Amino acid sequence: MQWILQFIIRHRNISSLFLTVMLSLWMLSSNPARQQQIGRSLTLTLFFPFQYTFQLVTRIRNIFAENRRLRAELTELRTTASFLAEQAAENGRLREMLALRDSVSYELVAARVIAREPSYLYRSLVINAGGNRDIVPNMPVVTHRGVVGKVIQIMPYISLVQTLQDPSARTSVMTSRSRSVGILETEDGGTFSISHRRHADVAPGDTVVTTGLGGIYPKGLLVGYVTKVEEGSDPLFKKTILRLSVDFDHLEELFVLKLSPQWRALTREIESLEMGK
Amino acid sequence: MIGTFLKWFAGIGLCLILQTTLMHVIAIAGITPDLLILVLFLMGVRNGVLPSIYAGFLIGLGQDLYTPAILGQHALAMTITGSFVGLFHERIIRTDPIIKLVILLVAFIIHDSIFTIVTIVKTDAGGGLLVREIFTRSLPRALYSIALASLSYIYNYYVKPTLHR
Repeated sequence: MQWILQFIIRHRNISSLFLTVMLSLWMLSSNPARQQQIGRSLTLTLFFPFQYTFQLVTRIRNIFAENRRLRAELTELRTTASFLAEQAAENGRLREMLALRDSVSYELVAARVIAREPSYLYRSLVINAGGNRDIVPNMPVVTHRGVVGKVIQIMPYISLVQTLQDPSARTSVMTSRSRSVGILETEDGGTFSISHRRHADVAPGDTVVTTGLGGIYPKGLLVGYVTKVEEGSDPLFKKTILRLSVDFDHLEELFVLKLSPQWRALTREIESLEMGK
Repeated sequence: MIGTFLKWFAGIGLCLILQTTLMHVIAIAGITPDLLILVLFLMGVRNGVLPSIYAGFLIGLGQDLYTPAILGQHALAMTITGSFVGLFHERIIRTDPIIKLVILLVAFIIHDSIFTIVTIVKTDAGGGLLVREIFTRSLPRALYSIALASLSYIYNYYVKPTLHR
């Protein structure tokens, strides 16, 4: 056996030629059915790796193409979903505002917030309604949740709104339960307080509304809720802390209250009084 | 070693694809150059007898499986052609380009002769087929292939040195 191997190795060219020629002759001498069988087996054996690789490459290419298509579709669907969610949220807000429109007797001008004061606390807003919508200064601005502020400056198509967060804003308010009147104040635009007389009946949870005094806000507009009453050391007044009902961080749509003629007349009288002073 | 094997394998695969797909485009009167014999010749003169025997066998087997001919016919012809061209390994015999082209011509004749003999044996065709095939098919095919191969020789021996100079 060993000498055969040695012979094959020593005469490997002749052995290889003999082997391959014999194989070829064996294939040639086979009958057609056998040839077909050999051909089929060889095709499967020899070409299978290439066919498999080719199919794999094709599959990978298809997967990549499908991946690209699905990504594009996903982006499109996400955009649509986001748009629809936005529409739904806006729809909800507008429904609530519509309910407000139906519940109040004043003429309301719907507007959108188009800019905010670029500071931590939004003390003023820019809305997309101005002289073109017959807006005038000192008109109250509200949402279905309550008072936002008042218009302080008018331009042809936009207006500047001073919110209740502005420390310079002073609003006459009262508790709806005990009718205790006070002035809404803030020092930092974040904490709001009212100075009530010491014996005033105010308790946490009380609703705070506008008094209608001052000629700007009509009576009864929701401002916020009492959260705490601080007695303090002052013998005459106590401090009522409240939370505003309007979420200023998520303000998008709002209404400008077009004052009825008597309110506007009163405003003019106040202005004339101030001028006289 | 593996790199060389893969290079030759890829080359043979490419030639097989070109031979079966594109060669008919440059056919003249139905005669197409045989890239597979050319690549087998190159392999023989570069690597010697043993690789060219197996390469010839595999190329022939590939042709047998691809074309509906008698199984083993191409394999036998290409194996013997491979063993013939392998005898002129460059390390053993230094030949000039003209001689190489003559060897290539002989390789074509050997290949086609074996191929035709097998056809005659298997189909009981007359012996005249061999002569007819050699003169009407083998020689024109060989000359066309040699002409094609000469282009690379002309480039290597005349154009490339001129460019380097």
